[in-house]
Amino acid sequence: MIAVTEAGFAFLVRGWTGPLVVLALVLATALVAGVSRRMLPFVLATLPLVLSIMLINTFLFPGAHDPIGTIGPFTATWTGLLAALQATLRVVAFALSVAVFALTTDTDDLLTDLEQRGLGRRAEFVIGAAVRTVPRMIERAGEIVDAQRARGLDTQGGPIRRVRGVLPLAGPMISSSLGEVEERTMALEARAFTAPTRRTAIRHLPDSLGQRVVRWGSFAAVVLVVAATFGGWLSLP
Amino acid sequence: MALVLSGVSYRYAGTQKPVLHGIDLRVERGEVVGVAGASDAGKSTLCLVAAGLAPGTVGGTLAGSVEIDSEATTSLKPFELAQRCGMLFQNSVTQLSGTSRSVWEEIAFGPRNLGLPLAEVVERVEAGLAALRIEALASRDPLRVSGGQAQLVALASVLALRPAYLVLDEPTSQLDPEGTQLVGDALAGLAGTAGTGILIVEHKTDLLARLTQRMLVLDDGRVALAGATEAVLADPTLRALGVEPPSLVTIGREAATAGIHLDPADLAMALAPRRA
Amino acid sequence: MTDAVEFESVGFVYPDGTRALAEVSLRVPAGQRLAIIGQNGSGKSTLVRQLNGLLQPTEGRVLVEGRDTRGRHVAELAATVGLAFQNPDRQIFAGRVRREVEFGPRNLGLRGRALDDAATRALDAAGMADQAESNPYDLGYSRRKLLAIASILAMGTPIVVLDEPTTGQDAAGVERVRRIVADLAAAGRTVLAVSHDMRFVADSFDRAVVLRAGRIVLDGTPDEGFAEASWPVLASTFLEPPVAARVGARMGMGSTPTVAALVEAMKARGSAGPI
Repeated sequence: MIAVTEAGFAFLVRGWTGPLVVLALVLATALVAGVSRRMLPFVLATLPLVLSIMLINTFLFPGAHDPIGTIGPFTATWTGLLAALQATLRVVAFALSVAVFALTTDTDDLLTDLEQRGLGRRAEFVIGAAVRTVPRMIERAGEIVDAQRARGLDTQGGPIRRVRGVLPLAGPMISSSLGEVEERTMALEARAFTAPTRRTAIRHLPDSLGQRVVRWGSFAAVVLVVAATFGGWLSLP
Repeated sequence: MALVLSGVSYRYAGTQKPVLHGIDLRVERGEVVGVAGASDAGKSTLCLVAAGLAPGTVGGTLAGSVEIDSEATTSLKPFELAQRCGMLFQNSVTQLSGTSRSVWEEIAFGPRNLGLPLAEVVERVEAGLAALRIEALASRDPLRVSGGQAQLVALASVLALRPAYLVLDEPTSQLDPEGTQLVGDALAGLAGTAGTGILIVEHKTDLLARLTQRMLVLDDGRVALAGATEAVLADPTLRALGVEPPSLVTIGREAATAGIHLDPADLAMALAPRRA
Repeated sequence: MTDAVEFESVGFVYPDGTRALAEVSLRVPAGQRLAIIGQNGSGKSTLVRQLNGLLQPTEGRVLVEGRDTRGRHVAELAATVGLAFQNPDRQIFAGRVRREVEFGPRNLGLRGRALDDAATRALDAAGMADQAESNPYDLGYSRRKLLAIASILAMGTPIVVLDEPTTGQDAAGVERVRRIVADLAAAGRTVLAVSHDMRFVADSFDRAVVLRAGRIVLDGTPDEGFAEASWPVLASTFLEPPVAARVGARMGMGSTPTVAALVEAMKARGSAGPI
């Protein structure tokens, strides 16, 4: 919950202080939750985005006239660079908030919670299956790529080659998934998935007073920051 | 009390040609009946029809009748059918719900769908684990066990709905010898102790010889051979119908061609465990 | 003469630390029919993936026709080693059977008449000439499996690797695969197959290698591999010798891995003898 709030903050706040405060909060939460070490992949995942933000803002900031230097037709500006750094901070803070959420929230807990709040069994199944089948989809994609490479498909080389190589990979992926959906539907029916009764709950999540205070407190904080941003009261340096 | 198909013909939606023609078949409780045949003979379709999934879930057109303990499958809703006749598919992975993080929860999936009281869900899961002797797997991730174990988990998950009959579509085709042995033992135990009526489609005739007393061979959607398993498996037309005879049958036949006559009972003895 | 394939104390450890192969040494002379058997997880699939460079050994060397696979592209090795995977549905993508079969040889640079001929020969070998214009997804599993094998045969590689070619096949399909293996061998091509099917191994191969937990625990002809002396090793990895071998041993006929060998032994003795 705290992580979601932080993500909201990261998205909303501007300037320097805001993102830095959020970043500090995120790191503190991660340390408390003991997941700080596993956050590196998430930071790396933002790298392409960060690079493009840096390049576009630094070189192409509209109406900036304080050049640092020129490469070919492009001129880097100080205004652009500063804007880029600010944007980068926000992106990283946002990504890390998402990371904390993903690393601290068990999908089963989330699903159990949503179910107890009245989420239908179909919706629950779709979310649960989507989350759990991702690793298997990746595995299957690997097998398909292997099978076609074994038949001489060259996955290295220019863009045209690569595009030509997509069909032999996408075909089996789609057709085997469709085939599986059909069998899966039958298998679910054969396990009484469409029974009209309410599903038996097998786990109850603890929900202490402290947790409730933090949850409502966080929610209130988001509302405040949103209001402040739109009301123009929040003008940090 | 039996699963009975009378004069069953079936065709899939959007097709003209029936896949099954005039099938008569009876599975008593506690009995294992085998089905064999070439790859496109209609075996999988027969499974879907016997379990009521076709036309129920799949659609298509059914002629004749399919009755489970005197109730027509067409008059039952899918969740009611599930409690009368369970169905196990070839691929153990597609029939796992994909949403459970432990084998225990996977087996609980069906009983929970029925909204049974928690105590009964627990009782059924524990009974399922015990019946197939997979208690040790209870806390494992169902997508991270071996093929044979996954098939046992799928079987336990179906059994947790307490069906009186089971329909199995080549349950061992994707398994290695160890997995085949595990599933074969489990099925033999089910029919014997729980009195479940089982219809099993198999290419492995050695397994059919071991599990079933009666069997039939399908050819192009029709029953080509039916009767006592021993007689069907010794039928000279078996191979032409796309079914590899058990090795013992081939041995007896080849030896006879060479002028050596073997007593089938003696041959069978050769495979029995040697007495110490 | 150079071996078709040579493994020099090959080890393989997956990036997550799982060891799949350890000290595997194996020489496969050109033209041999070699069966690789073992449980799921014994390292068979990892082993065959080393043959065309899909995986590179983490220890030791793999030589294909005398050349190290290290640093060579899969697309290049595919001209020498054709590998048909176990599950045809991970491979088939074309809307027509003939197009599917042409994919491999086309990648290898065949065009026009040569491409046509390669596809036709492969379809004939798989017994699918009359289904060349069908949609692969209208075919049953047995046929799709044969199609996947045909599309490897069409590449005309000197080394052919088949992963579980008889799994899920009906009697006609198994018979067809036996014929394919025999024809490949007759043409001097090397065949490696991963299989659980002991009868198929005994009938169709010159040599069987048993893997257990990533190591070779048995290596010999079917006569040796299925002789009574080897049974404990087979049993240790849940493999049962073919029925003919068990009957022959019980009758005191020596090693008779195939029905034909068993009947020959009976004829030589002049009777079935005591069981």
